[in-house]
Amino acid sequence: MSKLLNWVDARFPLSEFVKQDLTGYPTPRNLSYWWNFGFLAGFVLVLQVVSGLFLAMHYKPDASLAFESIEHIMREVNYGWLIRYIHSTGASAFFAVIFIHMARTLYYGSYRAPRELMWWTGQGLLLLLMATAFFGYLLPWGQMSYWGAQVITNLFRATPFFGDEIVIWLRGGFSIGDATLTRFFVLHYFFPFLIIGLVLIHLVALHTVKSSNPSGINLAAKDNIPFHPYFTAKDLYGLGVFLIVFCFFVFFSPEFFIEADNNIPANPLKTPAHIVPEWYFLPFYAILRSIPDLLGGVVAMGLSVVIFAAMPFLDRSHIPGGARYRPVYRILFYIFVLDFAVLTYVGAVPPSGSLVVIGQVATFIYFALFALLPFISKAEEKWLCKRGLPAEVEELLKSKSSPDKFNCPL
Amino acid sequence: MSDEDSKDPKESGRRHFLETVTGVVAGAGVCGAAWPFISSMNPTTDVLAKSTSEVELGDIAVGETKTVDWQGKPVFILHRTPEQISEVRNDQSAQTKDPEQDEKRVQKPQWLVVVGLCTHLGCVPLRKDKGWLCPCHGSFYDDSGRVLRGPAPKNLILPPYEFLSDNKILIGKVEEQS
Amino acid sequence: MNQKTMTFLLFGSFLFLTANSRASSDVSLAEVDFDHSVENIKSGAQVAMDVCRLCHEFKYIKYRNLLEIGFNKDEVDVLRGDMPLNTSILSTTKPEIASKLFGMMPPDLSLMAKARRGGARYIYTLLTSYSMDAEEHVDNKLFPGIKMPDPFAYAIRTDDVRQKELDQRIENVSVFLQWTSDPKAKERRRTGYYVIAYLIVLTFLFYLLKRKVWRTLK
Repeated sequence: MSKLLNWVDARFPLSEFVKQDLTGYPTPRNLSYWWNFGFLAGFVLVLQVVSGLFLAMHYKPDASLAFESIEHIMREVNYGWLIRYIHSTGASAFFAVIFIHMARTLYYGSYRAPRELMWWTGQGLLLLLMATAFFGYLLPWGQMSYWGAQVITNLFRATPFFGDEIVIWLRGGFSIGDATLTRFFVLHYFFPFLIIGLVLIHLVALHTVKSSNPSGINLAAKDNIPFHPYFTAKDLYGLGVFLIVFCFFVFFSPEFFIEADNNIPANPLKTPAHIVPEWYFLPFYAILRSIPDLLGGVVAMGLSVVIFAAMPFLDRSHIPGGARYRPVYRILFYIFVLDFAVLTYVGAVPPSGSLVVIGQVATFIYFALFALLPFISKAEEKWLCKRGLPAEVEELLKSKSSPDKFNCPL
Repeated sequence: MSDEDSKDPKESGRRHFLETVTGVVAGAGVCGAAWPFISSMNPTTDVLAKSTSEVELGDIAVGETKTVDWQGKPVFILHRTPEQISEVRNDQSAQTKDPEQDEKRVQKPQWLVVVGLCTHLGCVPLRKDKGWLCPCHGSFYDDSGRVLRGPAPKNLILPPYEFLSDNKILIGKVEEQS
Repeated sequence: MNQKTMTFLLFGSFLFLTANSRASSDVSLAEVDFDHSVENIKSGAQVAMDVCRLCHEFKYIKYRNLLEIGFNKDEVDVLRGDMPLNTSILSTTKPEIASKLFGMMPPDLSLMAKARRGGARYIYTLLTSYSMDAEEHVDNKLFPGIKMPDPFAYAIRTDDVRQKELDQRIENVSVFLQWTSDPKAKERRRTGYYVIAYLIVLTFLFYLLKRKVWRTLK
């Protein structure tokens, strides 16, 4: 066995890779459970790829067969119901995990130097994930699938000059049809390859800059511990808890994430009374609806997703530790999460009277938080420096072992 | 991990035990979780429900064959003439490769029911005046479906079937529905 | 307010708002405590075969599926006539005639309970919402202007005994339609109990292991 390993090692750095990047990967010892969600996202990705693979063995991407083939999977394929519900619940789980992963990054300021590339590849992953979810949602060919795709592809009509042509090109027809379904199926199958590729880049970047930690200060080598067994054990425990919640939905409430209308086959002649996107698109959808202009709405919605990428520029404070040691930033963070929740709610209910106003206010707050961040963060930094940093930070910075230096710019 | 453990052998033993138990339980779970996926590649319930075929024999004239579909495979039904019957029963020595009595290959002498796939590599043999000839590699079967010459190792396979009435058979095993 | 309470409150409000946005569109459906026993599903199936099947199809339910809800082979043979066991249950009225009669094709019923919010409750409420006004005009309160004529003559029920009988029949039909929309529900929940129980054990072991491993760090 060791002979074989030597043979391989002479040709490929297997043992070295395992030692450096898996078992021995130095990890800050003070990571909280909020750091479990990156691993969980990877797990859900594998779950989706595997369940999707087996679904694709029975699914038929043909407008006249798609809906029926889903029912065939649900009723005739051995454990087809289980695999499909894993996949449909997995989509929601993926977004839930990613949103928490992002919230953690925002809270602890993990997007700041030197981790900008991690944040940007993460932003790319979010966009790919959204596209994959959107393509996948058409495949059951139910009413919500059909009209969701109809509405979202119509957004491209806002493109200057070529709007109508682009919409027709995207659909391969004058409305959503067989051509659209087939290409969405192909793209839904293809995009995960891009996701896996970008995940690898995300991980290579991670192993270059190493994990951030709740203190926001890079720890000295002696405060890092090997990934195995400490974080394998911790990640597995987190995975167990996650699976209990996940399986509860899969086995006891699988239709919770599926709109009733999607159990009606797509009908191009009749729009459901109330179209809603999947819950993970609701905040962005609410922003789209809050702006009474097609182009404006589309731009605002697009911006609301990609604006996260600007965070390393917008946050000009150098105080370590993200929200933990920054009371003002912490308040902004909580306002943002609450605003996100309000937008989710507004996106889910039919637009009427006061809700339209609430949606517009929430949209305004959403962008205002980003717009004001450069000024607030700078002012906060000055204020904190004048007042003196928390004792904890001072101590960490002063300890000779920390590689980080921070001097108040006064 | 061994460096920390070595300080306390009792503690290390306990941890080793816990690791083993967890590993076994988790491993069992992974196997259990794999089963639905493996099982999903087996025939679906509607395919299994189609695994029997009812065949009306009334319209097959004496001396004629009919090819019917059973589980997606061709099944030859030959309505044998008395001459054909006596020929395959008298000259039982002609075939040597996979010797079998014709009496054991049919339920009623006039009806031969065989799976129409050459036992060599699965081509569909062609009906000749007498017997069947496989176009792929020239195996020849007599009117009892027994291989006389060619590379085929075995006689044509007999599907399970039963007579529902004098003129109707059910090919395939009927699954007991509970 | 400390950090943990804050996080808890925020995620709580997030969940509350999301869940609420869905619940709010459930218009008052009847509160029925359905009995999803096989006997009830079977009685419901019998009513559905006698009444609903006149116009509606059950595309995704095959005759052989009836064997799963307590029908025996002979009963199914009577229902299927000379159709093979492996065929979908279709309406006894030709679709063209039915669509001419009602101005639209009566919808397929096999997925109906899943296609309406409330499932069996929606179907029960719909079927018991027929009423007659002073001009002897029958309409449905839940679905005004519905094209389906009162299938159980619920609007012209005469006395309490008849009402009780109708309610029971309609309840059974609702339970049956719940089953046709999700025939694997029972198997799914049963599997679910084992899976969750297993996961709790596994997670507990992971927890112990994690604690044991981390204890060596001091």
